Amino acid sequence: MFFQQLITGISVGGIYALLATGYSLIYSLLDFSNWSHGEFAMVGAYIAIVFSTMLPFPFLVAAMIGVAGGALVSWLTEKVVYRRIRSTGGPNMFLMIGAMGLSSVFQQAANLIFTGQYRSYPFKLPVSTIKIAGAYIGVLDLISLIITAIILIFLMYIINKTQFGLNVRGIACNQWGAKILGVKVDSCISKVFILAGCLAGVAGILYGAKYNVWPTMGNIGLKAFISSVLGGLGSVPGAILGAVLLGIIETLVSAYVSSSLRDFFSFALLIVILLVKPSGLLGVDVQDKA
Amino acid sequence: MSKNVDKTIPVLEMQGVDKHFGGVHAIDNFSVQIKHGQIHGLIGPNGAGKTTIFNNITGIYVPEMGKILFNGQDITGTPPHRVAQLGIGRTFQNIRLFANLPVLENVIIAANKDATYGFMDALLKTPKYKEREKALEEKAMGLLKVVGLADKTKELAGSLPYGHQRKLEIARAMALDPDLLLLDEPAAGMNTEESLDLVNFVREIRDTFDITILMIEHHMDVVSSLCDYCTVLNFGKTIAVGTPAEVKADPEVIKAYLGGTV
Repeated sequence: MFFQQLITGISVGGIYALLATGYSLIYSLLDFSNWSHGEFAMVGAYIAIVFSTMLPFPFLVAAMIGVAGGALVSWLTEKVVYRRIRSTGGPNMFLMIGAMGLSSVFQQAANLIFTGQYRSYPFKLPVSTIKIAGAYIGVLDLISLIITAIILIFLMYIINKTQFGLNVRGIACNQWGAKILGVKVDSCISKVFILAGCLAGVAGILYGAKYNVWPTMGNIGLKAFISSVLGGLGSVPGAILGAVLLGIIETLVSAYVSSSLRDFFSFALLIVILLVKPSGLLGVDVQDKA
Repeated sequence: MSKNVDKTIPVLEMQGVDKHFGGVHAIDNFSVQIKHGQIHGLIGPNGAGKTTIFNNITGIYVPEMGKILFNGQDITGTPPHRVAQLGIGRTFQNIRLFANLPVLENVIIAANKDATYGFMDALLKTPKYKEREKALEEKAMGLLKVVGLADKTKELAGSLPYGHQRKLEIARAMALDPDLLLLDEPAAGMNTEESLDLVNFVREIRDTFDITILMIEHHMDVVSSLCDYCTVLNFGKTIAVGTPAEVKADPEVIKAYLGGTV
């Protein structure tokens, strides 16, 4: 039973990690909380719904289109909204407020187009299980876990081992320094939004496959925020660690305490971290949290 | 280092550059001509507009009037990353290293300016990419040797002592293969012995890489022993131009620095 819950927890944590890493990357580059980040997951999930249930596409193709859609929307918000706000030289708070506005726009738009109805993907995976070491593990959890692990390893590789990753880390340290050394900062930021949008799209589809798709499912972005704070804002490995921990805690609370207290524990955890160790588990000192 | 550039045309020429901030006339009709291989000093009291001139050259600000020519090419209003790619390296008065990155990576970022491989090359680590990566690392190591930091490549830039950070910043700027190096108060916070060391270091950089240097400096002994010419600014206006000995004797300069009447 415990082993089963642990796998589920890591799997849910993996989905949070896909969101938290993108969220954390954007935070490290632009110093603001992208509150609309969860909506990219929602957009990706709905696009996959449209292509797999309303149009005659195989689910995998629909999922890929969904991921691309998440990336596109993420890139567009940077291009149309955030870059313009940045170019006025306003405080970062403007970016965050812009992101909140975007979040509402996306949620309401989804509500108008798709109504509040819960929708699901056309396959039977969610209920099938396999027996490993005496425990019944959901096939979906396992698949989700594997996909997530591959993507996150790939992401760490890009950030730590490629020139693009080096430029991103440089910009995170010092944007003006990077500019003056010939780094195309805006182009790097765009690419990070595309990358983060892809990750969010995958997260949305995996989450949707597990819990269905609905207009406000993007609120899962809040869990990405909690994960990032727990692991250390702006740190990608921290975001992954925080997300997996949060996934495990939530699953255990649901299993052994009460599923209706799950979010109570998550947000209480957020408050405790902000009070006790605001820099998180792996983070550097950050003063401005929101 | 220098490419096929006509060495008879000035490396940097500024013609009547003007910049206001609100009601403050930060630079007023500033002109300068710096020939290849020269070390030119930019001096003046705080707030005279020296760093503003650097910011105009490197594209952080766009001048309201006037022209900036680099190797004869008009670069007025060119964005910062492009100015860097064209071959103008710069350091900052308050050092701006990538503090959380290792020393070697600090230099590699700058050396990477003319990347010729695509994103997929980088992902798949194609031979082309690996070759390029190796070349970058060698180049960065070479520069770190010149500035004497070759044994510190793995340390975080932010953990280096102050003097080393300054040298790393110069190595980083040199990774752009610049024709022109802008140094913003390289001797700031240094004692006499350290600044003497710096004088030799800057001269060595100039000779090794055959570059031109424009530097902002307050230490008059540094300026006197290093600069071929200098321009003295006060409240955005040029008040004297000449060799260090000439400007030191200039009554306007003495007045600006000592605030007295002459």
